[in-house]
Amino acid sequence: MKMKKITSLLCAFAMAASLFAVPAAGVMADASNGEVVVTMPTTSEPASGFDSAFGWGAGEHVHEPLIQSTLVRTTKDLKIENDLATEYTSSEDGLTWTVKIRDDVKFTDGEPLTAQDVAFTYNNCRDLSTVNDFTMLKEAVAVDETTVEFHMNEAYSIWPYTMAIVGIVPEHAYDENYGQNPIGSGRYIMKQWDKGQQVIFEANPDYYGEAPKVQKLTVLFMEEDSALAAAMAGQVDVAHTAASYSDQELDGYSLMRVETVDNRGFNLPATVSEEKDGITYGNDFTADVNVRRAINLAIDREEMINNVLNGYGTIAYSVCDKMPWYNDEAVSEYNLDEAKKLMDEAGWVEGKDGIREKDGVKAGFTLMFSNGDSVRQALAEDTANQLKELGLEVKTEGVGWDTAYDRAQSEPLMWGWGAHTPMELYNIYHSMGESGLAQYSPYANETVDNYMDEALKSDDLEASYDLWKKAQWDGTTGITQEGDIPWIWLCNIDHLYFVRDGLKVADQKIHPHGHGWSIVNNIDEWEWE
Amino acid sequence: MKTKMNQRKKAKILLAVAVFFLAAVAVAGIICHDAAMVTDFSRKNLPPSLAYPFGTDWLGRNMFYRTLTGLSMSILIGVCAAGVSVVMALILGLAAATLGKKADSVITFLIDLVMGIPHILLLLLISFALGKGLRGVIVGVALTHWTSLARLIRGEVLQLKQSEYIQIARKLGHSNLEIARKHMLVHLLPQFLVGLVLMFPHAILHESSITFLGFGLSTEQPAIGVILSESMKYLIMGKWWLALFPGIMLVLTVVLFDLGGTSLRKILDPNSVHK
Repeated sequence: MKMKKITSLLCAFAMAASLFAVPAAGVMADASNGEVVVTMPTTSEPASGFDSAFGWGAGEHVHEPLIQSTLVRTTKDLKIENDLATEYTSSEDGLTWTVKIRDDVKFTDGEPLTAQDVAFTYNNCRDLSTVNDFTMLKEAVAVDETTVEFHMNEAYSIWPYTMAIVGIVPEHAYDENYGQNPIGSGRYIMKQWDKGQQVIFEANPDYYGEAPKVQKLTVLFMEEDSALAAAMAGQVDVAHTAASYSDQELDGYSLMRVETVDNRGFNLPATVSEEKDGITYGNDFTADVNVRRAINLAIDREEMINNVLNGYGTIAYSVCDKMPWYNDEAVSEYNLDEAKKLMDEAGWVEGKDGIREKDGVKAGFTLMFSNGDSVRQALAEDTANQLKELGLEVKTEGVGWDTAYDRAQSEPLMWGWGAHTPMELYNIYHSMGESGLAQYSPYANETVDNYMDEALKSDDLEASYDLWKKAQWDGTTGITQEGDIPWIWLCNIDHLYFVRDGLKVADQKIHPHGHGWSIVNNIDEWEWE
Repeated sequence: MKTKMNQRKKAKILLAVAVFFLAAVAVAGIICHDAAMVTDFSRKNLPPSLAYPFGTDWLGRNMFYRTLTGLSMSILIGVCAAGVSVVMALILGLAAATLGKKADSVITFLIDLVMGIPHILLLLLISFALGKGLRGVIVGVALTHWTSLARLIRGEVLQLKQSEYIQIARKLGHSNLEIARKHMLVHLLPQFLVGLVLMFPHAILHESSITFLGFGLSTEQPAIGVILSESMKYLIMGKWWLALFPGIMLVLTVVLFDLGGTSLRKILDPNSVHK
């Protein structure tokens, strides 16, 4: 018995020690020759390797694939510029995209990159990708060495945003193990991958664009607390961190904040509840548009950002704040009195305990958050506190992702979204095939659907931004405060990093959802002073 | 003249202290439940003070209330799960010893089967299969902890069967069931009670460990496992109070249960009762 106790004590110590352990000692950065060591969350390690067909770059979290090059890339203001492509056009009906590519690009094994490789890559993604949507693509065809045609199943005006994240793979060197030993034509070559620990990249000496300034990039995968420990020990140059650690003072490091569209918000099911195939869809309380509007008005976002994020965040009014397709009609000011009036009008009157009631039913709902995510939990708790002032009883509950999607059909869930494509609006608000309701939370509005369909059919990408804006609010209907407001958006979470003094991190684009690879999108432009 | 306290008295006092403390924690926890859930961002990350003896966490929750509630939940889950477990052990142990050879080999096989799999692993499996949460934990703990006690009871009953008074009862024509109820159960009661009490600390520790690992109660609950696993993230920032006090309280609870159980055994066991 005693032995057992001692053993378990030892185990506890070992566990505690491993928390502070930093993998791969001896990766001390050498500032002189352009080497950089960056930490990322363990979830950023691509489980299926560095293959665009399995989510590298074009996955749940979008970013530039580094090892491979893409046809186009997004600029700082999230418009599109050419990379491999020299020009691209879409046919009038939007069903054919023709892209001309450079003829001077070589893979790192010396073979030239041709239109055939591009076609192969996209057809491969269409067939294999489960993490990004390629259903709109019928077929990619190489017309000649430098021209590729994309034949679409349906018009898809925002195709360039897909072209910006799909890394082109070499057809001649592609097999099922490609993701483990990727060959590309991008700025960096993957030299070494110690699974569960680190990936080492070296600059591609034959890169067709401007030569990278940073010669060697080491990415370490670890949790935030270990990253902080690593920075304290001076072992890394850039350590990702969270708002709760932001008040730590580290010698030789300063805190860098990057603005994001990594938003958090919760859904309010907009239909009355109904059971189908064992899943409940809709929620009787939030089905009333006045209730949803009142909730939106009763949220003091500024206070929430100060409370939960120590101020390291920006207010979110939509899923796409700061994007070119964002409609600023979504802005709504905190107004508790107006919110109370709306609740009164909806027939919910305050009871003795301060909680509103109607026909003996108490006003309120359960707000779910994903287990273990302390920021979402804090946002859920603060939302509950703020809505209490409106007379709503909001319970919070931690759930796992295995059940969260189904339960979110009838109960609000704290989500995180944000991507460099207007498709995000479509995924959240557009109704889907059979059910006629949006995918993640029951909602449907024909006018909103039509604007988005029209936007996808448009033959001019920049002109289509207007239609995306109208889908949000066209003056009479939409998804904003004055419209149906089926989702409440709270904040965009700043991505925070401890950066070693002397390292100049190049200006960042607004980061999308995911605190991982986006930071090294432009690693080639970083500099040591 | 000062009399030296004998062991019996000491044991009684220890038992009383343990029972009182545990009952107080259990009750206090239930009373504080609502207060433990309150979040207030104006008082987050406060070190221990008079107003907040155990400090507050990153949501501004009062860790003192949270710890009490967590312990009380652990105690209640522990009592509940251990209770179910002990009843299972008693029934199966009795059945094995009295219902003949076949039943005996089936039950012995079951015991070996459950004992063969590491506790924590089986617990995780059962809890996960039942969708985690309160039900998963209770069923998980109950289904994994009955084995050793069942084996003990079976052995005891087998021995009892050979004793003279049972033999005589059988000769007098009493049925198996009646013998089991009238003669054996009474004899087994002390061991049963002690087994029950000594199972509590196990049950509590296992409840908190699977919750700590994320397979038990969900994270908005003020469970001791949740508190401890959350505190790990903030240790590096020097927020020692988040782990220290709840940890000490958990150890204290377990130790008190252990002491209480041992004292109870001393009082009930004819060998030691008069020392």
